[in-house]
Amino acid sequence: MTAAKISTTALPTALPTAMPNNESMLFIKRLTKSFGERQLFAINNLSLRPGTLYVLTGDNGSGKTTLLRILAGLEPADTLDMTFAGTSTTAVYPPEWRQHIIHVHQHPYLFQSNVEANVAYGLIMRKVPAATRDVLVSEAIHWAGLDARRGVPPKRLSGGERQRLALARAKVLEPKLLLVDEPTANLDRHARPQIVLLLQNMVAAQRTVVVACHDREIIDLPGVVRLDLTDGALTTA
Amino acid sequence: MELWAATQEALRMLFTGDPELWGVVWISLKVSGMALLIATPVAVLSGFVLATVSFPGRRAVVVILQSFLSFPTVVVGLVLYVLLARSGPLGELGLLYTQTAMILGQAIIAFPVLAAFTLASVQGADRIVHETAVSLGASPSRAALTTLFEVRFAVMAGLFNGFGRVISEVGCAMMVGGNIAGSTRNIPTAISLETAKGEFSQGIALGIVLIVMALVINGAFHTLQGEGQLK
Amino acid sequence: MKVLLAVALAFLLPLQGLANELRLATTTSTEASGLLALILPKFEKLTGIKVKVISVGTGQALKLAERGDVDVVMVHSRPDEDKYMAAGFGTVRRDVMYNDFIIVGPKTDPAKLRGERNASAALMRIAKTESKFISRGDDSGTHKKELALWREVNITPKGKWYLEVGQGMGETLTMAGNLLAYTLSDRGTYLAHRGRVGLHVIVTQVPGLYNPYGIMDVNPAKHPHTKHSYALKLINWIVSPAGRDAILELKVDGAVLFTPGPAPKD
Repeated sequence: MTAAKISTTALPTALPTAMPNNESMLFIKRLTKSFGERQLFAINNLSLRPGTLYVLTGDNGSGKTTLLRILAGLEPADTLDMTFAGTSTTAVYPPEWRQHIIHVHQHPYLFQSNVEANVAYGLIMRKVPAATRDVLVSEAIHWAGLDARRGVPPKRLSGGERQRLALARAKVLEPKLLLVDEPTANLDRHARPQIVLLLQNMVAAQRTVVVACHDREIIDLPGVVRLDLTDGALTTA
Repeated sequence: MELWAATQEALRMLFTGDPELWGVVWISLKVSGMALLIATPVAVLSGFVLATVSFPGRRAVVVILQSFLSFPTVVVGLVLYVLLARSGPLGELGLLYTQTAMILGQAIIAFPVLAAFTLASVQGADRIVHETAVSLGASPSRAALTTLFEVRFAVMAGLFNGFGRVISEVGCAMMVGGNIAGSTRNIPTAISLETAKGEFSQGIALGIVLIVMALVINGAFHTLQGEGQLK
Repeated sequence: MKVLLAVALAFLLPLQGLANELRLATTTSTEASGLLALILPKFEKLTGIKVKVISVGTGQALKLAERGDVDVVMVHSRPDEDKYMAAGFGTVRRDVMYNDFIIVGPKTDPAKLRGERNASAALMRIAKTESKFISRGDDSGTHKKELALWREVNITPKGKWYLEVGQGMGETLTMAGNLLAYTLSDRGTYLAHRGRVGLHVIVTQVPGLYNPYGIMDVNPAKHPHTKHSYALKLINWIVSPAGRDAILELKVDGAVLFTPGPAPKD
């Protein structure tokens, strides 16, 4: 299957503020998580900058997935001291952060409708008016190279197409921080580069992307910051 | 053979639009349709709440609900009868032997089926559906609706199952409806009567209608389901 | 091997019982009256024949006999019995007993039937006043009697006041009680349910309300496998002095429910 054409042009932002390049977008003063007696990890003083691609590496079971889920507000942390978008929290995950932080599961769940409806979902939740919504949806579909598959139900998409759809669905919401869990783990070698391209494009548009993976193609990209989670501690390479 | 002759007569009655016969069919559809209309929203909501909200005594409620799945319908009829009889607490309402009483009985019978199927479907839905919705900005209630929509075929299976249960049940309908010709006589009570009279053609004709209805509904459901099969 | 024997015995033992069985079809109201539970054990003690009773509607009872699914039939619908005999489904018919019908209704008697000396005239009053009336509507003996009474006064009952319920006598009485309506009932079933339904006897023991019972065999020429000799034994016993005495034993509130012999002419 030939690679779909993926647009790399920057798209209009829907958010009011743009961050200066070197300012910290997300700052974790302290974050710990345990399962029962066993402490999974303790993270201190981690700062994420905009326009940067972070790769989260570590052995299976080290807690990569859990860390991403905590940052996305899908799971609670034991202790938490985090600052994002001007607000700090030491307890509950503020629901308004979900406007700017989006999480993509390792095996993303796609709604049983079609490509178009999936991409539109988040916009509908945000009550974006229909006219604007249609434009944004078309742009995101074009961005992911899925123009030819607009009305196709998810069950008929290939693995690569499904992953691109999941990314488009997140991207259309213009997140400041995108958390992606093992996006290329189950893809063949034709589909992987397309995903890498999309992630790079997000970064080029001044977003922050944190990717948990073992994929050397991503880890070895220029400009990538490697975060290694081993033995419960996070080290920046 | 007598059975074959009766079946031929039955088909003739069906296709020449015998008014008594089709009148009974209409009452069946009307009563069961209305019963499902009022039971479904409440039942689906209850099933959903049971699947997603934890509260003290939840487990007991689920067990009771599931045991009502095979509750004898004639007992529902009996309890309803005792409430609605002239000597009963609600006798003043004059609801006994009316279509309203039948609708109430069938709604009560369908409720556990609908709720239990919804409970199972939502429980069977991966947590990931809810998380995806929330991650994309859905409020908890919108995310709940989305989850419910994603498992709609499993919920619909409950709907069809509930319909099947009430369209063919006779115990409750007989007790609270009274099998009055032209008003509370539905397909199963009519079959009961025609058999007692030895009028097998009528009984067979109505039986054919019931079977065709079941086939059509199941066929429609399977077609719909085919569209929505998960990989 | 032992298991095989045990299984075989399990199947054969009940078959032992079948050899001395006689299948009788009758109506639900006959069985509900308790008559058969009273007299049939006496017959069994005398002859060793066990009578299995199948009680259904009149129409179905006769159909069962026509098809040879039973060995003997007892109903209370003379026109249908005559048809059965004329078609050769039976070879012998006897008058067993009779009871009577009564018109029952609410205490308030909205149609003012009390004192009416004629059954069809009473029904005519019910129709004229459009007082609620429950009909069996199931081709039973009682229903046919009701229809015959309407025919006598040339009325085809129709309208919101006339409810055909297609159910047994007990259920019909229950409905009449709940809806405060009139209905035609046999005395036996009424007496059995009287305390519960709250209806009163309005018209009784007037011409038109007698209910005779007939017993018929199943023609062995049509159905050779039926227990014809047993059937004849039952028929002969039930009309014999012993049978008549047994029937007279059934009393409710001191009153005899069924009178043996043919009914008085209307």
